[in-house]
Amino acid sequence: MPKKITKNLEENIKNYEILFSDCADIKKRRIKVGTKLKRECYIAYIEVALNNTEWKESAIGKLLTTLRELPEEELISYVKENTWDISDSAPFDTIEDAAQGMLTGDVIFFLEGYEKALKIPDQGYPGRGVYEVESEKVIRGSNEGFSESVKLNTALIRKRLRSPHVKVRESFAGKRTHTNVDLVYLKDLIHPEVLEEIEKRLQEFEIDGTLDSGIIEQLTEKKKYSPFPQFQTTQRPDRAAMAILEGRIVLLSDNSPVALILPATYNSFIQTSDDYYSRWEIASFTRVLRYIASFLAMTFPGLYLAMTNFHTQILPTDLLLSLAASRQGVPFPAVIEVLLMELAFELLREAGVRLPGANGNTIGIVGGLIIGQAAVDANIVSPIVVIVVALTALCSFAVPNEEFATAFRILKFGFILVCGYLGFFGFLMGIMAVLIHLSHLESFGIPYLAPFVGADLNGYQDEGDTFLRLPLKFLKKRSLYTREGARTRLKLK
Amino acid sequence: MFADNWKISLRQISRIMILDLFGLSSLVLPRIVADMTGADGIICFLLGMGGGILLLGVIQGNVRYMEGSYYQYLKKTMGQILSDVFMVFYLLYFIILAGYVLYQLDILILSWLLPKGNYWMVEVLLLLLAAYGTFRGIEGRVRIYEILFWFLGIPLLIMLIFATGSVDTDIWTPVFYTNGRGYMEHSITVWSYLLPLSGLLFLKEFAQKPERLVKSGKIAVITVTILNVVIYLILIGNFGQKTVQVLKHPVITLMGMVDLPGGFFTRQDVTMTAIWFFALFALLHTGVFQGTLIMKQLCNEKKSNYSMWVALIFIFFIADSFIKNGFMEDIFKAYQERIALPGMLVILIIVPLVYQVRRIMKKPEGGKKTWENQSK
Repeated sequence: MPKKITKNLEENIKNYEILFSDCADIKKRRIKVGTKLKRECYIAYIEVALNNTEWKESAIGKLLTTLRELPEEELISYVKENTWDISDSAPFDTIEDAAQGMLTGDVIFFLEGYEKALKIPDQGYPGRGVYEVESEKVIRGSNEGFSESVKLNTALIRKRLRSPHVKVRESFAGKRTHTNVDLVYLKDLIHPEVLEEIEKRLQEFEIDGTLDSGIIEQLTEKKKYSPFPQFQTTQRPDRAAMAILEGRIVLLSDNSPVALILPATYNSFIQTSDDYYSRWEIASFTRVLRYIASFLAMTFPGLYLAMTNFHTQILPTDLLLSLAASRQGVPFPAVIEVLLMELAFELLREAGVRLPGANGNTIGIVGGLIIGQAAVDANIVSPIVVIVVALTALCSFAVPNEEFATAFRILKFGFILVCGYLGFFGFLMGIMAVLIHLSHLESFGIPYLAPFVGADLNGYQDEGDTFLRLPLKFLKKRSLYTREGARTRLKLK
Repeated sequence: MFADNWKISLRQISRIMILDLFGLSSLVLPRIVADMTGADGIICFLLGMGGGILLLGVIQGNVRYMEGSYYQYLKKTMGQILSDVFMVFYLLYFIILAGYVLYQLDILILSWLLPKGNYWMVEVLLLLLAAYGTFRGIEGRVRIYEILFWFLGIPLLIMLIFATGSVDTDIWTPVFYTNGRGYMEHSITVWSYLLPLSGLLFLKEFAQKPERLVKSGKIAVITVTILNVVIYLILIGNFGQKTVQVLKHPVITLMGMVDLPGGFFTRQDVTMTAIWFFALFALLHTGVFQGTLIMKQLCNEKKSNYSMWVALIFIFFIADSFIKNGFMEDIFKAYQERIALPGMLVILIIVPLVYQVRRIMKKPEGGKKTWENQSK
């Protein structure tokens, strides 16, 4: 049962301090106000959330200074009428709400004789500013990246989309963390059903804490056993803004620099921001490369095994002899050899990610060059397998989205096994199984394989932005993500 | 969700139909038709296409009166017992067809991809995959083949273009040497391989534009006939009719002989098997899906999937019997030509006729109320 704030300051302080007993990081101060210093007020804040060095310049500092200059009988009416020129203050009726307000990083102010508490904003929690994005690098375009503050992130999007149609719906996730979750979208472009669905899904769970958008992503995904992500992730505000312009919704979670974009399709994971900033020929070329890379990241080692173990007749004799010669002296069957090498590579990748920057690079060099060469010299693996594994790794790095690339990395092991034991038949079975899975997969009602399937729903317009990215002048219509009747993107005059 | 009830488009239907018809017919028919003189076989393909279009005509005659599913339409027109008999007829056709296709897939895989493989292991794996696909529903099924279409079509067209380089056109002659009976027999065989078109009857309830359902069937029949004629001419021009008759899968043998410029890949038979693997799998998938759908309707099964597992078991044993008994292929041919084709034509002609007759007979004197309204 929430405790109401009363006019009795002592009672309010007692209740408040019970709630925050043994919290050394929370500062509580009693201060006398009024010209005769006869009325007491009480402020509470998280130690680092208040700028102590410029106290007088802060909102709470200015408020207290003013309150000391007013006679005691005018204090309450002054505070009640909010006449001290602070835009973002909010009154609370209960101790619990006031506590929650303070935990967002603001100062809580109680005044004797006043039955509400006020939230006074200050610098808030410490956090990074706008930093250069670490992943999703582009050759052309902005390098601003999201930070851990949801407010900063929404501002970065609004900076790019200066339209009153951009809406931000706020909710909270996590029973104990009260993490701020914002849904950002263009009201006149989205399918309202998608917004309803994501809001419904956000209400469908109750968890103690959400420390990153990844937790929300997993809790709101429908196909939890699919290796393919059903939300697109990005750390780039321009990518998020671009998605919003397509009629998609961006979900931002406090403390997470990773935004979730919904709905998502296979095609959307292959696209990058600079696909639209560069000329169409370059964009199309790299797009095709990425599609091929996503396929090979999953199948290349399996295809190698199928060709060398089962269907050698495909290859020219010279190449075949060279492959056979390179395997001479290797004690393992080709499947084990490929699996060993792939596992070693995954270990190197994992070790490289966890280590600090410079050490991570060293691991790459030590692993890739020294261990690889030593393994070949010791006849543990053949040079061709090293090449196959390295090419597969390159392909997986060429997929622009890490989560999406991981799906292929996992499936790769399945392909190694089926191709190792069933050859090209296993490969075909694997492809069919993946296709069946993908053809059924949907992200918020949009088929995962759109616009390769169901393109007729948008008059085949979306096909101009798939393998090839046609010149921007041809991409006049928005994609299927946008509601019908609002799909015109470009009008040429 | 706004997209959950998307229905299947004309493009999706025509693509799945093309794959359904192309896989089996291009693999089996050239061998059968090649016992005719020169290029006479193409006449059979064209006559068979005529039969296919006729079949589509009678399908259209049914589709126009259908409200809801085909089974509902049958029940309304023919009563419970006859409609059940007709549905069992269709069920048997699709299950036997799926069994035969599974057998062909088995042979294809064991001949070209996995010579040391075990046939029942291949069958079980394929059936499990088909079960996975069927379990995922009709929308997922059509999407697979919509996306696969050009991935299979473009390499096939490229290979066919390269294969024309070695065609000896003299072998196409003489033409019109076959007697009338020969033309008729083979045309009926070609026609019988177009019977999967009857699947359109069951797609109406899922189609975005049911009135254009038959049009997508026509696109499929014409495309497949063109492809089959081209493949047949290339095969005859490359191997001669005697060789085509004895080859197990002449079209795949042809793919293995095509010289690609550059010389990096020496033989393409293995990789090109993928086209027939996917096309045959599409037809197997269709057989399993339709068989399950019909069985579910007959048993009034709503949520469970027992029908699918029963259908799969039947298909497995039918395929198994094809493998163990060489004469089963002849029986299948006879079944298609003497039971399935005429039976299906009779059903497809009788039902709309009865529908019309009953409508006229039940028409009230005032002429305003129709029989359908009364039965509702």
